[in-house]
Amino acid sequence: MSALPRVFIVATALLATLTAAAAEPLRIPVLVPITGFLALEGTSQRNGAELALRGSGVDFDVNDTATSPEIAVNAFERALTSGRARDDVIAVVAPMLGTQMLALIPLADEFNVPMVTVSGTARITELGSANVFRFFPGDVVVKAAHARYAVEELGVKRPAVIFQTTAYGQSGRAELDRNLTALGRPAVFAEGLDVSVKDMLPVLSKVRESGADALLLHLHSGPTALVVRQARAMGLDIPIIAGSAMHQPETAALLAPSELAGVCAESGASPISESDPATRAFADAYRTAFDREPDAFALGQYDGVQMLLAAVRAGAKSAADIRAYLASRRYRGLAMTYASDGKGNMAHSAVILCYSGDSRVPVIVKRYENLTGIL
Amino acid sequence: MLGAQLALNAVALGAAYALVAIGFVLVLNATTAVNFAHGESVVAGGFAAVALTGALAMLLPAGNAIPGIVLLPGVLLLTALLGLAIAALAYLPIRNRPPVSVFVTTIAFGIIVTNGLNAAFGAAPRAAPALLGTGTIEFLGVTASRQSLAIIATAVVLIGALAFVLQRTQLGRQFRACAQDPEMARALGIRLTRITLLAFALGTAFAGAAGLLLAHQFFVTPSDGAGLILKAYIAVVIGGWGSLRGATIGAMLIAFFEVGVASISSQPLAEGLLYVAVLLVLLVRPDGIFGEPQRLRA
Amino acid sequence: MNPSTLTRHRWPLVAGAGALVIYALFFASSYDQRILTLSGIYVIMVLGYQFIFGHAGALSLAQGAFFGVGAYVTGILASKFGTGFVLTFPLSVAGASMLALIVAVPVLRLASHYFALATLALSQLLLLIAVNWEAVTGGANGLPGVPPISIGDWQATRGLPLLLFVWGLAVVAMLIARWQLRPARVAAFTVMRDTPLAVPAFGIDPGLLRLRAFLLSAAFGGAAGALFVHTNRVVSPETLGFGVMITCLTMTVVGGRFGILGAVIGALLLTHLPEWFRGLDEYYLVAVGVLLLAMVVFAPDGLASFFKFSGSTHTPISTPAQPGSTEYAPPVASGRPVLEASNMSRRYGGVQALDGVDLALGAGEIVGLIGPNGAGKTTLANIITGIARADTGNIRSAGLDLARATPTAIARHGVARTFQTPQLPDGLTVREAVETAAANAGDTANVRGAATAAEAIATCDLSDIADTRCGTLPHGLRRRVEIARALAGGPHLLVLDEPAAGLAPEEQAEIAQILRTLAGSGLAILVIDHNLEFLQPLATRLACLDAGRLIADGPRDDVLANDAVQAAYFGLVMPTSTSGVSA
Repeated sequence: MSALPRVFIVATALLATLTAAAAEPLRIPVLVPITGFLALEGTSQRNGAELALRGSGVDFDVNDTATSPEIAVNAFERALTSGRARDDVIAVVAPMLGTQMLALIPLADEFNVPMVTVSGTARITELGSANVFRFFPGDVVVKAAHARYAVEELGVKRPAVIFQTTAYGQSGRAELDRNLTALGRPAVFAEGLDVSVKDMLPVLSKVRESGADALLLHLHSGPTALVVRQARAMGLDIPIIAGSAMHQPETAALLAPSELAGVCAESGASPISESDPATRAFADAYRTAFDREPDAFALGQYDGVQMLLAAVRAGAKSAADIRAYLASRRYRGLAMTYASDGKGNMAHSAVILCYSGDSRVPVIVKRYENLTGIL
Repeated sequence: MLGAQLALNAVALGAAYALVAIGFVLVLNATTAVNFAHGESVVAGGFAAVALTGALAMLLPAGNAIPGIVLLPGVLLLTALLGLAIAALAYLPIRNRPPVSVFVTTIAFGIIVTNGLNAAFGAAPRAAPALLGTGTIEFLGVTASRQSLAIIATAVVLIGALAFVLQRTQLGRQFRACAQDPEMARALGIRLTRITLLAFALGTAFAGAAGLLLAHQFFVTPSDGAGLILKAYIAVVIGGWGSLRGATIGAMLIAFFEVGVASISSQPLAEGLLYVAVLLVLLVRPDGIFGEPQRLRA
Repeated sequence: MNPSTLTRHRWPLVAGAGALVIYALFFASSYDQRILTLSGIYVIMVLGYQFIFGHAGALSLAQGAFFGVGAYVTGILASKFGTGFVLTFPLSVAGASMLALIVAVPVLRLASHYFALATLALSQLLLLIAVNWEAVTGGANGLPGVPPISIGDWQATRGLPLLLFVWGLAVVAMLIARWQLRPARVAAFTVMRDTPLAVPAFGIDPGLLRLRAFLLSAAFGGAAGALFVHTNRVVSPETLGFGVMITCLTMTVVGGRFGILGAVIGALLLTHLPEWFRGLDEYYLVAVGVLLLAMVVFAPDGLASFFKFSGSTHTPISTPAQPGSTEYAPPVASGRPVLEASNMSRRYGGVQALDGVDLALGAGEIVGLIGPNGAGKTTLANIITGIARADTGNIRSAGLDLARATPTAIARHGVARTFQTPQLPDGLTVREAVETAAANAGDTANVRGAATAAEAIATCDLSDIADTRCGTLPHGLRRRVEIARALAGGPHLLVLDEPAAGLAPEEQAEIAQILRTLAGSGLAILVIDHNLEFLQPLATRLACLDAGRLIADGPRDDVLANDAVQAAYFGLVMPTSTSGVSA
């Protein structure tokens, strides 16, 4: 982006803020899980949205959706029907928990409000809703990158898969299976784990017995770190390609850099690994604001909300305007370029990152751009 | 060799669960109170260790690793204070009321601790330092992490000490007297409130020690409490309500399923089989493995 | 019941309910209506839970499982097959009830925390299936696309229609609860909770009562789960999760373990509480926890206890009954013994508690069973009443094999007993306790419900204190209430376990007089005691046990003169100081 359009955007943003302040400000409720087992990822989501919305002139308030569909629907109804007029709401930042998205879709369709999320669950864009916009590569995208990197780049012949028995894990596992089979390297071993599992030796000993030559994970943060640590401790030295939870700085913080040697992971992005000035500026602002390291969920949600704000700057005044903008435009965000595939999948690229063994900051080793061919 | 390795891991995991369970049993034996905030107390112990590590790291020159044993007194003190708070706020005011009220006050206390920690520390999993250091010891082809051995040793020491206190000391007799007949205990000059506070402080400090040890081995997140109390409750009931020996066996049984059975089937199947086993045990022994049969005396 | 207290306590409730209805109908936003709808669903679940947790006093951790089964039955049928509400709702209720029925046999006999663990294990097992059986349940993601409630052309998607429909069903649930909890059954539940030992003595079948409570809780839970799925439009494993169970338990304790009001207050309050504090961001659940803690400390018996009206719902019976008009004859030919026991033996570990004992009792006979402590007297009483089983021997009473029948069946057959330590529920009045026994008496007994109860009360000279709660009675009166309870079942055999223990001489005399009257009307009475000052003038016959063996049985004076009796019995205590023997 050259300097001139940027000045232009800042000017219009200021102008938009001023004009908006005269009328009733537009609203984007942020409905995300900040308590319960998905609070780590949900907090990133909130922070990304909040960083974009602060000072934007658009009103927002954060509502916890915890872990159940019930509370997500409560939060949605509260944001839309209680207090101020519903017309002010031009879009909703919707929870990354797939189950909650499935419950919210009928409501969003009824209220005709677009939802911007970073949920990876494949199903949410397969229900024919015009109101779902996903700013994080869905399982269809990241699991393709995951499988292709293992098979094509590492030459894996006998992959083993460990997934979590949660909405996130089961959805990802299905896509991983599909991709591995399509590549002619179906998993020689697969097992689901509850999030509360503590000792990973039983599952890892079965991985070893299966003769697997690589271990593909699709687990949440804590279990990912436990598997990596215990695999290394028992001398299971096959490559580990983890799911996106591994890229979160909080996951790497649980392990010694040496334990991370030979570990890779898929993700939509890795803001702490990037060196371009815009992403670094984002990361610095994020650290200042929240005293945390940014991850891809925060960045994806940040990009998603920035696209909403771009729509506002371009004159969108209602939910219908926003929806039309999101569905038809192409937006160049920090993580990637976004455009809808007609179902609300906005993100089509993924990255593979690896740890060198002497740092907790991963290096991006492979970028899978435009895996769906939409862009 | 895998079998021996699995057995060692199962014992270490069982010891960890037993450590969680014994504080619960202690409070149970001294007051009959069912403390459902006990899981959160373990989590609080883990976070106390994380916070103390952070505080000490600022005082010490960079690069110095702090072993968990240095943190232990601080963790015990903080969680003992937490135990006093649980007793004072969630138990003593309603001690003579229906016991089910205590279930809910302690559940409420757990909600406060979980969400307080979530707000203060964030939701990310955290790790506490190892008790005596990291690294592994190899013996006849079996690899034992030093932390696993520390957990087993701590469990043996604490369970032994508690059994001694409960069965052989004046304090243990006072505990039992208070639990069995508070009025009689009071008449005998036992200070009921003081004994209750002591039991909660000790029981919760045990939870704190467990939290410190588990937070290195398995990490700790604010929402871990529910899963821990679930395991402890299963262990305590299946072993025989209130029996220290039973709780230890119960903890080992859970670990046997999670490590042993899981290694020859799958994790979800092993979990299901554990619940089936629990139901079968209750079918054969309605009062748990070491429970006193509740004989009706007319 | 004092009418002025009633109005004083009731008007805030009426006003509050009225305000809530006006708010719901005219002022509530769609969001407010949703929260109220959820409250209505939880009212149904909590009403169900009150049966098993409140009335039956059993810590069931399966209410969440019943809720989840109801949810999944509706969720799977509605989203996969498009089955309509008219069919899915009854199937959800039936599904949860069926599950309860299947697990009832092994699980319901367990006590306290063992019952809790069994129900917990069941719940966890179902959760595991829901999460891992992806093909049917949709796995952890659950199943989307559950249609709204529709009956014919009418549909309730959200807002007021759904709110009214759900609360309509909640009212139906309340009516069912009221119908199921008629005073006699509430009293039976009270007996089961407060005095588990005496449940058979009241003629109550504890297994049946618990089963009823468990099935009702399951049916209500299943209904609530089905409605829940329609309000969220998805079914997911959270409906089976432990969180639902904790919510239900908390609502029940905060609102109240008994009564519709408790269920309504608990459900309304706990559904709204988190919503009120949402402004506190990450700290809102901390605030919820603090308030929850404060409420239970402040009102350990539930917030509804502040609105308690007068305690007893009983209307006193106006016609005072005359004592002694009932005949306590056994339903067999006269001349045959009422109790025939032969060769009874029982061993506890290394102790031979009973060793080849023969004993027979005829109608109208008062037999004293004496013997030193540990001689086996109470063991024999327990075997007669079915609480303990003999290892060998035959024991029959009026055609019933006592060795095979359950304690309740034995009591209903007309074999009544009292206890060494009187077993009376503190919360019931004397009249309620005795009427409960009359209401649960067997068909063979000559019992006419409340009239028989009133007569038993009169016989035991308790009419003046009939409306006093048992918990406040002194020891001597409790013994008489126990006899009245025994009489209310229309017995032909009465076994008294140390009826004179701890009583003053004049109280002992009163009891003796009552027993004589009863024997006069045909009742066979076995009195276990070692207080000879009490027994000597009362019993026509004495039997003496020593170390489990019957060493003498015959006319009073013959037995007292027996050398073996002298050695075994008076070896312990000097004959001159027999008044102090009662232990």
